[in-house]
Amino acid sequence: MDLLNHVLLGAQVCFTPMNLFFCFVGVLMGTLVGVLPGLGPTAAIAMLLPNTFHVPPVTAIIMLAGIYYGAMYGGSTTSILVNIPGEAASVITCLDGYQMAKKGRGGAALGIAAFSSFIAGTVSVIGLMLVAPPLAKFALAFGPPEYFSLMLMGIVILIYLASGSILKALMMAVFGLLIGTIGMDSISATQRLTFGVLELSDGVGLIPAIMGLFGVAEVIANVEQEIKRELITTKVKNLLPTLRDWRESFWPMIRGSFLGFFIGLLPGPAPVISSFSSYAIEKKLSKHPEKFGTGMIAGVAGPEAANNAASGGAFIPLFTLGIPSNSVVAILLGALMIHGIQPGPMLIANHPDLFWGTIMSMYLGNAMLLVLNLPLIGIWVQVLKVPYPILFPLILLFCMVGVFSLNYSHVEVTLMIVFGIFGYVARKFQFEMAPLVLALVIGPMMESKLRLSLVISQGSPWIFIEKPISAIFIFISLALLISPLISRVGKRREKLKEIVQGDEL
Amino acid sequence: MERTQSHYDRIASLFFLIVGAFFALYSCTIEIGEWHEPGPGFLPFWGGITLVLMSIGLLASNWSRKGPARPSFFPETDSWKRVLTTFMALLAYNLISDSLGFTLTAFLFVGFLVKCIFPQSWARTLIVAAGAAILARLLFVDFLQTQLPKGFLGL
Repeated sequence: MDLLNHVLLGAQVCFTPMNLFFCFVGVLMGTLVGVLPGLGPTAAIAMLLPNTFHVPPVTAIIMLAGIYYGAMYGGSTTSILVNIPGEAASVITCLDGYQMAKKGRGGAALGIAAFSSFIAGTVSVIGLMLVAPPLAKFALAFGPPEYFSLMLMGIVILIYLASGSILKALMMAVFGLLIGTIGMDSISATQRLTFGVLELSDGVGLIPAIMGLFGVAEVIANVEQEIKRELITTKVKNLLPTLRDWRESFWPMIRGSFLGFFIGLLPGPAPVISSFSSYAIEKKLSKHPEKFGTGMIAGVAGPEAANNAASGGAFIPLFTLGIPSNSVVAILLGALMIHGIQPGPMLIANHPDLFWGTIMSMYLGNAMLLVLNLPLIGIWVQVLKVPYPILFPLILLFCMVGVFSLNYSHVEVTLMIVFGIFGYVARKFQFEMAPLVLALVIGPMMESKLRLSLVISQGSPWIFIEKPISAIFIFISLALLISPLISRVGKRREKLKEIVQGDEL
Repeated sequence: MERTQSHYDRIASLFFLIVGAFFALYSCTIEIGEWHEPGPGFLPFWGGITLVLMSIGLLASNWSRKGPARPSFFPETDSWKRVLTTFMALLAYNLISDSLGFTLTAFLFVGFLVKCIFPQSWARTLIVAAGAAILARLLFVDFLQTQLPKGFLGL
């Protein structure tokens, strides 16, 4: 009954003309961003954030969340029609989606991607409704040590999941923490590394940093050489999947939805991991694994469902603990804070309209996307035909305006350019951006929790072990950090064994 | 000269070594505090030290190792010109937007990039630049009411 009341509250908030309009704008912008290669949801949300300042917080979050899951939808269009993923989570869709399009079944691939995304989006919204409130109640028992350990675990999981060197990911996280210390100290009001620049007193802005690292750096990397796209030119038709398509896709869709939702709860690039995992599972379960990569519809349905469900699941740590699980959610966290809302376990109790309104908008947004995507595919195909040499100056112009309009500050625009240079070079050097961004966002929170914990314990770092919940988080973090070392030692031992055995022989 | 991943890692470790040392030294000028009462310099100091140690670790692990070969930093011979020009255009936009105003700066910025990075015909350049400037003005200034520089023309 309680749940029904909350759902009704959410519907009441969501079904106002303004919120419906912003939800529509969000999913439309998200789909556009997902369709355009070289501009991800992170940069898009950061770019549009300043334009939400003059609307109520719930409206802003409804629109920004719409961009996130809308981008997951849109990403599949480019994967299927151009063989270029609109965003990282759609990489795996290229394998079978593009092959289907080449065989003249692009319509069916796009249709099943849209339906999978809708079903997965629905599953994740229901999961969010059921899991978030009890988790938030549990989190009420958290004190500063638990929060610090939890945030530490979040960063460590992200580092553990980094595709490259763990040491380099750790270095980026520490670098992010250090950048997060720039500005006025929240406890003593001491200026740190501001060098008299007034704009730095509030710290290094999250938006200029993210726009630089993801938007500018991405565009600069793309102007190095002209991108040639091979667009499927035949007319996309028969968007509604056949009965056979449904039969082959139904279980992959369901499996992908649940898998994506649970992976979405973990910190890290959940949509990417879940889509890859779903593809691997479907290939394993298939009677014809050898046909994967040649245009199997299950290879589109599973991953597309998984990446959409993961983007819904990623909202749980944000709404219940106030901890972002990836860079997109990190900006949403920043957006909540800019709108004067403190994310954390009290969010659902203090702002039920925001939580339930956003959830209902996500459900509605998923329905809008389904209605939008199928008839508008022709328009998205036209958008894809805009040549990159024309597109990239417009993306850069949007970045410049977006950052400037935050505080009307040229210093922040300069910061964005500096982060753009850093992001561009760091990618070339094989450093990942996600640990830096996450550390930058939660760094100030981590610092205050660390200092409070040490004050409470009178300087004893053992407080993080003495508290049972905190100890579990610390144990998981250590286990994750040590496990690669163990496997490395194991591999070395195997190697030594082989050498010794070789000598004996 | 062929570059290897270790070569890149050595350069990166030196950069982070300097950054870490800078943070650690700077935090000595503000109050680091004690373990039972950490000051504003506590995290920058220990974070800086950690970054220095990690950088030394990365440097040491790549000191004598060659590592896998990496493609050259710029994929094409003239890539660096396009990258540098784009960054210069961004900086120039930031410098001149106050005096020229948003609309004119947007026109020049888009026109310059369209013409110079992957050169397009003059007609296409002018249409794209003018279209982008007008649409951006309508969207940001007139519709979203964003306060953008007006410049000497008041645009």
